[in-house]
Amino acid sequence: MGKIIAIHSYKGGTGKTLLSINLAALYANKGKNVCLLDLDFRAPSLQAIFKVRDVEYWVNDYLNGVCEIKKVLKDLSQTHVKRGRFLIGLANPSTEAIREMTAKDRKWEMKALGRLLSLKTSLLNDMQLDYVIFDTSPGLQYSSINAIVSSDVALVVSGTDISDIKGTQRMIDELYDLFEKKTGLIMNKVLTEVLSSKNERADLVKQLMNSYNLPLIEMIPCFCDILKTGGATIFATENPEHPFIKTLDRVATSIENL
Amino acid sequence: MTLPRRLEQSSASILQKIKECLDQLNEKMEVMIELSKHGQRAQNPEGLPDVLDVMTLLSLPDHLRKTAVTLCKLEQATADEVAEHTKRARAVESGYLNQLVLMGYVKKERRGRKAYFYVDRESEEKEASKVWEKS
Repeated sequence: MGKIIAIHSYKGGTGKTLLSINLAALYANKGKNVCLLDLDFRAPSLQAIFKVRDVEYWVNDYLNGVCEIKKVLKDLSQTHVKRGRFLIGLANPSTEAIREMTAKDRKWEMKALGRLLSLKTSLLNDMQLDYVIFDTSPGLQYSSINAIVSSDVALVVSGTDISDIKGTQRMIDELYDLFEKKTGLIMNKVLTEVLSSKNERADLVKQLMNSYNLPLIEMIPCFCDILKTGGATIFATENPEHPFIKTLDRVATSIENL
Repeated sequence: MTLPRRLEQSSASILQKIKECLDQLNEKMEVMIELSKHGQRAQNPEGLPDVLDVMTLLSLPDHLRKTAVTLCKLEQATADEVAEHTKRARAVESGYLNQLVLMGYVKKERRGRKAYFYVDRESEEKEASKVWEKS
């Protein structure tokens, strides 16, 4: 049985999308069948990154009950990964669609939760996928909480600034604990000086352990060369020996042990 | 068939009926106990069906949230099936499920001897099938 992994954070700009894309591509390059879904309806990004043309159906349409999930998925196995199956589902980036998605009522959100929950049957059972990755909106809002409830594993990504750490801590206490979800914490964009100094690293780990009631599964350094590419490169495919991908490989192993 | 044998059979069926009645009584008492524990919060004021969205799930007390989330995942289930997932006693789950029914979040339907609980998303399915038929 495959797994649904939700990647979430308290604040925006923590690197959720970059992690989601590369984790999905890393699994595919290992020969796994993977699906990456953009559930960030407020700030859709996968369309800009993968530049898919002629999109007939969006994830928005699936949640609206307009089509089945199969119609939303685009197969990028030939162009973006070396092995495995790599499917993506895009969120509609038009202003009109964003506005529409932010104005949904509670009844719609309940139905959307039902549709997300049924992906376990359609994607994992029927299509035999190994991993489904949800790239979510930051913070506490319907679409991201729906995604967390529908996932098997949730990864919370946090930066090292105090507002992010405090907010993430509160979110974990008030949200993750309540849903009893298998959850792991990823600290992203950690300064390399902190990671290379034994004392500073130990201090940070101690601080995080005191703040969070969650297993810290990885501390990913800030890589300037990744920032330079502006998100246009899928490192897991184009540069699999990059240290960023090596750390993601450890994340993949940790997910299995959560 | 001998008279003692027939008597034995009819008493067995009477006992079975008594057991079923006791089960139903037990279920109702559990609901009453739960309602008295949570006071007025438990009853939806208008008695109208309410929406079981994630924010509502978050606002539920821990014990009911576990039952409600499990039912959302299973779509429809008996108290036995929910209990299997939550690792709690069937009678406990039956009480919680019935409380969710009274709160208007969950619907209950009896089929034969079994009671099935579900989150009402029927209207959505109908709408969706209409659209698919058109396309």
